[in-house]
Amino acid sequence: MSSHKIDRRAERVLLGALRVWGVQGSVSCEPDGFMLCAAAGKKMRIARDLPRGWRLFNETRLLGEAAGLPGLLRLLREELAPQAARGRLIIGSALP
Amino acid sequence: MTPVPVSVITGFLGSGKTTLLSRLLRDPALERTAVIINEFGAVGLDHLLVESSDEQILTLEGGCVCCTVRGDLVRTAGDLLARRAAGAVAPFERIVVETTGLADPAPIVHALMTDRDVADALRLESVIATVDAAAGAGTLDAHPESVKQAALADRIVLTKTDLADPAANGLAARLQALNPAAPKLAAVHGAVDAGRLFDGRAYDPALYDPALYGAPAHRHDDIRAFCLRRETPLHAATLSLFLQVLAEHCGARLLRLKGLVDVVESPGRPAVIHGVQHVFHPPAWLDAWPDGDRGTRMVVISQGLDEQWLRDLLELLDQEVTACSIS
Repeated sequence: MSSHKIDRRAERVLLGALRVWGVQGSVSCEPDGFMLCAAAGKKMRIARDLPRGWRLFNETRLLGEAAGLPGLLRLLREELAPQAARGRLIIGSALP
Repeated sequence: MTPVPVSVITGFLGSGKTTLLSRLLRDPALERTAVIINEFGAVGLDHLLVESSDEQILTLEGGCVCCTVRGDLVRTAGDLLARRAAGAVAPFERIVVETTGLADPAPIVHALMTDRDVADALRLESVIATVDAAAGAGTLDAHPESVKQAALADRIVLTKTDLADPAANGLAARLQALNPAAPKLAAVHGAVDAGRLFDGRAYDPALYDPALYGAPAHRHDDIRAFCLRRETPLHAATLSLFLQVLAEHCGARLLRLKGLVDVVESPGRPAVIHGVQHVFHPPAWLDAWPDGDRGTRMVVISQGLDEQWLRDLLELLDQEVTACSIS
């Protein structure tokens, strides 16, 4: 699959995550990752360096690193929507 | 010891839960059934309307089972099992829990799936929602609890069908869009085929028939049902990460997820996954595909989650896992 197609998918996933958290904003593709602009005036650069992972920057500094998309989404939620509900996967009893 | 099947009967106030239960308990196939009735209010009445042996009916009073007496439910179920083991009650083979009309069934299901005191002794069989064929549409409009009850159910019983035709008043189509895979059974004065209410359908491939999905949702409902399909197998790690991301970010909005998943590491033996919000059963592994379709199918019933977002998330996670895999 072309990197362009993967980038578009990642852009949609990031934008959809904003909606899930109730954050207004936009996401655009950059040569080495994505630029995320939240309506509250927060700007963040997301650099992708697979297979090493993702790095999240604001305008001046590195905010965090994540080995994969789940970690990146967690970093973003903590930065942009710390009040958003946060769940935890629980595995219960076996299926009947 | 074989776990005792537990079914939860939910449904809005006046939708016919107690009438249904009363009729079911007269069915010889269900005579060995213990009943736990949750009554909201200082004076419980519903249990007086259910005709059965008193010792087999326990009531939870003073609160709604989904919030204040969840612990009581688990304790009561545990007590029932202990009394059965001691021979103090008739040897029941099934438990039915009737919730209050205002209850959110999800926490009840969670308690039955996860409480360590009862999870091994009980197994959740099904969630049954009653919907009043005459007043149901108005109730769904006015009370989000009733929409959630219907969306979470494994089976929907349309009651009072002698008073109104759910096909004619649009209720049937609305319920079909809300929860396409749940069989809809009609009941008159509570009479319904018990065999169809309690049969197990966890692995039934008919749940994933694409023809069931895609009907436009009612304008008042933000709950959507859709089926995610994938033709190539998923890594087990992808499936685990996908469920973790959903639980972490979308827990309360993910009402149900049921799936048959083709896993790279388990060729020819699909995984069955079932979850209610952020709580999942462990995957069950089938010995073979149940039908000719070998593709991954996941049915999602969610509140405000975008179908394409979930597809993209799943694909992107699998791309990352593939990129990190040692081949």
